[in-house]
Amino acid sequence: MVTGVSLSRWTMSYFAAALAALLLAEGLMAAGYGYPSASIESPRTLIVVHIVTIGWLSLLMCGALFQFVPVLIHRPLFNNVLTMPALLCLLSGLVALLSGFLWLDGQIEDALPFFPIAAILLGAGFALVIWNLARTLMSGWPLPLPARFVGVGLVGICLTTALGTIFALVRGGVTDNAYLIDLAGRGVSLHALAGLAGWLTLCAIGVSYRLFAMFMLTPELDRRGTRLVLHLAICALVIAVPGGVLAILSEGSLNPVLLAAGTVGLAALGLYGRDMLYLYRARKRRMIELNTRMAVLAFASLGLTILLTAILAGSGALERHVAVVVFLAAFGWLSGLGLAMLYKIVPFLTWLECYGPVLGKKATPRVQDLVVENRAEKWFLLYFASVWGGAAALLYEHSPTFQASAAGMLVATAGIIVQLLRARRLVDVSAEARFPEGAHRPGLLYSFAQRA
Amino acid sequence: MTTFVELDVRPILAAGGEPLGKIMETIGALAPGQGFRLLAPFRPVPLFQALGSMGFAHEDREIGDGDWEVLFRHADQGELTDEMASAFVEAAWPSPLMHLDNRDLEPPEPMVRILAAIEAMQTGEVLSALLCREPVFLMPELEKRGHDWRGGFDHDGTTYQLLVRIGARREAAE
Repeated sequence: MVTGVSLSRWTMSYFAAALAALLLAEGLMAAGYGYPSASIESPRTLIVVHIVTIGWLSLLMCGALFQFVPVLIHRPLFNNVLTMPALLCLLSGLVALLSGFLWLDGQIEDALPFFPIAAILLGAGFALVIWNLARTLMSGWPLPLPARFVGVGLVGICLTTALGTIFALVRGGVTDNAYLIDLAGRGVSLHALAGLAGWLTLCAIGVSYRLFAMFMLTPELDRRGTRLVLHLAICALVIAVPGGVLAILSEGSLNPVLLAAGTVGLAALGLYGRDMLYLYRARKRRMIELNTRMAVLAFASLGLTILLTAILAGSGALERHVAVVVFLAAFGWLSGLGLAMLYKIVPFLTWLECYGPVLGKKATPRVQDLVVENRAEKWFLLYFASVWGGAAALLYEHSPTFQASAAGMLVATAGIIVQLLRARRLVDVSAEARFPEGAHRPGLLYSFAQRA
Repeated sequence: MTTFVELDVRPILAAGGEPLGKIMETIGALAPGQGFRLLAPFRPVPLFQALGSMGFAHEDREIGDGDWEVLFRHADQGELTDEMASAFVEAAWPSPLMHLDNRDLEPPEPMVRILAAIEAMQTGEVLSALLCREPVFLMPELEKRGHDWRGGFDHDGTTYQLLVRIGARREAAE
């Protein structure tokens, strides 16, 4: 039986592409491109949205899952080579999709059938990712609880990709099927829910149960409430997507479906919040690192998202302010957690790759020697403050404040990226301790995954 | 052909009891050529060594839900296949010379300490370490350096015991 986990070969490339996409999206928002200057359904808004959700969040999640699904189930990744073609498919598919939106916006000529190409490339890229991760998960059957969240998350990305493909084929004029056109017209909220909640949030929840227990030395949670989070999340996903699609195809109203899914989903997130609070309180490790402290701000953003959704839904203003909720979920919760975790993952993987071969044989730096926390902390604080400012600006529909907030996010992200690059390059380790004899100098975008 | 007497210690452990007495009783009552099949809610690593020193070889496999089935048989009886021979060799690991309790250390400190301790040990010696989780990044490193390892969780799933036997391939691996 093969056990143990080696380094995922292309995870750093996924992270690099993801961070570049985040900078691009923040730059566009700061420049006033897309919502709120343009309408929420405009091609310009869709460009920003897909740079964030595919370019940044999905690539970040894929890169992280290639490394951490094996950690969840103690089995190696099914295939460490396929991850690169998958990345190339996803990136080229994203470019094709953005070109399609630019064409819709009248910015470029229809030189190529952009939407069908995007559907094929993104479909192929996500299929490779899903197949690789699903085969890995299958080798670890029966799955521990955190891995089951990832399994359901993979169903979430299947549904998101399927709906996205239908939309692309309709927009590209490939199909004139009345049902599919109806679905493309009314199913956008289902596509967004499947992606942000079903895929990204569920995977983030699964991985966080294991990583936070690991970082804070807390016994792992597998109690009734934790299993209930999973079961409620599955219910919410089933109600929202297959349920929502049925409602659209039978020409019924979507609102009761979304209300039911939302209520069940919020209950799941509430229980998840309680579990995370428990992990922080029951931790054996009193002093926690910057990444775990900053993750608290991401959890606070999730709480704020839930609260705001409930208040807006209660006052009947959710439809008008849906952008605020999506912005907070994408940037405060998912991106905030992602950036905080990158600040742990990148130094750790770099340390393992560089010093793993000589551990015990030579004096080696500690993982914490690769980072300077107080230098990174201000960028994280600026990031979260800007996100919350941006959400408030959207709520009060004040574009200049929103653009200024996006500029704050851009600067903060650039600051965090510089810190990540310094860690990857081991710049903050003293020169004489940096490369003991036999240590492996890590590449920027590639990890050397040596087998026994 | 070895016949097996079955002993399921899961109810005993679930009731908070100590199964060792029952295990020894079962072994004492074995007829020549008989082995016994142990069903346990965890991989009973300490037993492999204890019974190995009494001449038992073992084959273990996970049977789902964290439960393990282990077949113990007298290694000096009946047909001694290559597989059994290697199982016998495995069972006969010497007592650990070095004990580390790494349960309260933050990752990756347990891995660092185990690798440092191993470097000071001689071929064939055994290190025992207690951890609070499965050391997934350590295992490939141990294999790369040519060491054998066995590990498993205790019955309540909170402590992982790792045994590492220093391998002869270590010089070549360096």
